[in-house]
This record gives sequence, structure tokens and C-alpha cells, in this order.
Amino acid sequence: MPDKLCTIQSKIDGIAIVTVSGSPAVATVELLLSLQRRFATLAGDDHIRGVLLTGTPQGFCCCQRVQNCTLNESARLSSLGQQVMFALEKLGKPCLTVIEQRCTDLGLELALASDFIIAGQGASFGFPAIADGMIPFCGGSQRLARLVGKAKTKEIMFTGDTIDGEEAYRIGLVNRLYPSGEALPRAEELLAHICTRSPSAIRIGGEVVNAGYDIDLATACLLERDAFALCFSRFDQREGMQAFLDKRQPQFSGE
Amino acid sequence: MPYKKLRIEIANRVGYVYLNSGARFNKLSITTIRELKRAFTQVDGDDSIGAVVLSGYPGESFAVGADIGQMVNFSSEEAFHFAELGQSLFDRIESCSKPVIGALNGITMGGGCDLAMSCDFRIARDTLQIAHPGARLGIITGFCGTRKLPRIVGKNFAREIFMSSDPYGAQDALRMGLVDRVYSTEEFWPRVVTTAEQIARHPLAALSAAKRLINAAEDTDLRTGCLLEREAATHLNTPFG
Repeated sequence: MPDKLCTIQSKIDGIAIVTVSGSPAVATVELLLSLQRRFATLAGDDHIRGVLLTGTPQGFCCCQRVQNCTLNESARLSSLGQQVMFALEKLGKPCLTVIEQRCTDLGLELALASDFIIAGQGASFGFPAIADGMIPFCGGSQRLARLVGKAKTKEIMFTGDTIDGEEAYRIGLVNRLYPSGEALPRAEELLAHICTRSPSAIRIGGEVVNAGYDIDLATACLLERDAFALCFSRFDQREGMQAFLDKRQPQFSGE
Repeated sequence: MPYKKLRIEIANRVGYVYLNSGARFNKLSITTIRELKRAFTQVDGDDSIGAVVLSGYPGESFAVGADIGQMVNFSSEEAFHFAELGQSLFDRIESCSKPVIGALNGITMGGGCDLAMSCDFRIARDTLQIAHPGARLGIITGFCGTRKLPRIVGKNFAREIFMSSDPYGAQDALRMGLVDRVYSTEEFWPRVVTTAEQIARHPLAALSAAKRLINAAEDTDLRTGCLLEREAATHLNTPFG
């Protein structure tokens, strides 16, 4: 039953559309466990090359507000939530989030853990749970501050107000903004395009970006140098460069 | 020793390093990288220069990566040394005691994009086409770009640029913060010159201290950064102390 909250539709071109509707009636822990199972499936399935997270007109990643927890329950919930978001970051495949509706609290935390967000004009974003005395607990405060800066993050978190798609686009929370209803098809197009690129370069590049972001420049550059050298022992590098020289489309294997 | 791939001119306290390979695209070959390192050592040591402009003006490209025909057969060992050489150039530019303006006159790709990011800020002509095509070629970038691009435009735009491998125009680059100013073709070079000359008129000791401090801000906690700032400011305020 809980897995209805989060369904995977695999397409022949290797794109998995993950519809994370959730439900206002479901407990947060149930939804997180459902996401955890789904992400394990996506990571282990070699036919899946790219992932699109999306919601339904009813919502994106909705669940009950966390209430009346003991301290231990609350700490366990936060650990689980953070593990789930790290699992999404470590998927090793491109993962875009499409938002056409409200994307708040856990939904915003999930969207922030994906590679980037594409939105329709009717989208809205925020952390309104502050009104009930709650703050993000899956890494959302840290990811938002790194993405849009400390001042914007504080404004959003302190007020509990939602910002609309235009504002989210202006501050760099969403990468691309489309008229309502067009975000999903445009995101599918972009992801299909990204999936023609080298899976190994995307995976290694994503890992190096994440690992290098929080450490000093010199160490990050050492990491990058070694990862760069590693690319040259792989099939994708020979194929990509040869195809470029032959003026043809590369056929990457991800090896 | 004369330069083969570039040219240096000095006017009104500005040192202009022109990438000038003679070909349509200024490729970052091993020779070009070595010459750039030498050029930055030269302008850094020249007291008549207060600011530096790096550009491919008036050509079609700023800079692109290495020759794919050569790179296709690189071993991991060769790639390792190539990344090391490129990174040492970018370190040289970052540690240059003078402000370095990247004047992006046109096509800026791969290693050329990393080169642009090693400059202190970037002014672009509206014909800019900027891309990181590594994922299309089966590689990642190796000249510090995986660290610098996310710090300049944020992780999400960086991931989009890396994953799509697509070229972005001047307005997109401006919106993401990858370039700081965009000018029309007619206005571009005069504005680069005015900006560089304006900067070069300021006392070099203050410019150098500001550059070092701002670079350090990326890697230090706030309190340590403030200590560094206090020391530098005190030193500047008491030139004979």
C-alpha cells in the first residue's frame, strides 16, 4: 500500500518517471521508507539511465506534519531522512525534479537533493512547517543555503511564506521555468538529451562536484586530476572523442 | 624567448595577454599552456602593469580545450600530467598579484571555460558561446572546473552545464553568474579597456591584498578570514610602519 505513494514508470529510452504524490494522510516515516525502496530499485537497475521526479495535481511528496514525537523518534526520523536524500544524491544517474504545484517542506527537501529543478509557472516553494515549530530535517536547510545563499534561505525559512515559480527562477532555486503544464514534457526532453551523454562522465563528474564542493580548492583539484585521469582508461572517453572526430553520434556504454 | 601562441601588449598600466594561435580556435595545447604560464610570470613581475586582461580578441574564440585528435589517444598517465599542467597554469593566474579580467570575446569551451574561471571576473561579448562538453566526449574537466563552476554558479547550474554539455549564450551565462557583464559587439572592447584602466589606476598593494583576501574567503572560516583582513588592512594603512 505505501508504495502507491511513489510509483515508477520506466520508459523504453531508459528514463524512469517517479511520481511522488504522497498523501496528506501518510506518516512521514512511511513516505521516507517508500522513497528509500524506490531509490534502491532505481540505483540497481542498469536499464534506467535517468530519473525524473514529479508529483500529481494533488501534490508533490505530501505527508503528515511530524508531531508529538519522542526525542529518540525524532532523531531517528532525521537520520532516515538524511540517508534517503544522500541515497538520491548517490544514485549515479542524472535526476531532475519537475514541479508544477506546491513543493514545500519534505517536498522541497527532496527536490533540493536532486540534480536540479525545472518548474512550471504555477509552482511554489517554501518551508511553511516553521509555523508549527518545525524546521527541515533531511538536509534541506544546508542544501538551500548553499544553493541560494544564507540571506534568501533565512528569509524563506523565517517567514514560512512560499515563493512562486518566477521568484524561485530569479534566485536560482529552479534552473528553468516554463508556462504551466509545459515543464514535464520539456524536462523529459532535456533528460533524454542528457542521457545521450556519457553515463560514466556524468557519474564521475557528479561525484567530484559533490565531493569537491565542501573542501578546499587545492584538495578538490587533486581529486579532480585523478578522476580526470581515470576517465582516460574507460571506453566512453575513446568512443566520445572518436565520434567527435568522425562527426557522428557517440554510442556510450557507461564503461 | 618570443611567444608563438600569444602576444603581450602594455598600455596605460594594463597588460593585455592576447591568445593568438593564428587558428580559428585558440586550443589549449601543452605549448599554449606553457606559454600562458610564462606570460603570467612576466606580467606579474612587471611593475608598469596594474591589471591584466586575458582575451582572444579580436578573434572568434576566447579559448577551447586541447586538441581532441591528440587527447583521444591519451593514456591515463598522460591525462594525469595534462591535468597537472593545466591546474598549475590556473594556480599561476589565481596567485598573480594583479587583478586578471577574462574578456570573453567568443567561443569558450572546455578547458577554455576553466581558463575563464581562473580569471578574477569575466566580461563577455554578446556573441559568447560557453560550454563544458566533457560529458559529450566521455570525460570530466581536469583544470579545476569541477570545483570552480559550482562555486561560481551554484551546484545546480553547474550540474546542468556539465550534464547537458550544451553551449550557453551570453544572457544565460549572465543569469547564472558565469559572466559578470555582457556588452554588444561594438561596446565590448572599449568597455573592457575602460574597466581595466579604471582598476589599474588604484594602488597595486590594495588590489593585491583584496585579491588574496577574496580568494582566501573561499577556503577559510569567517573568523580566520577576518583576522587576515585585519592584518592586511593594518599593513596597508601604515605604509611606512
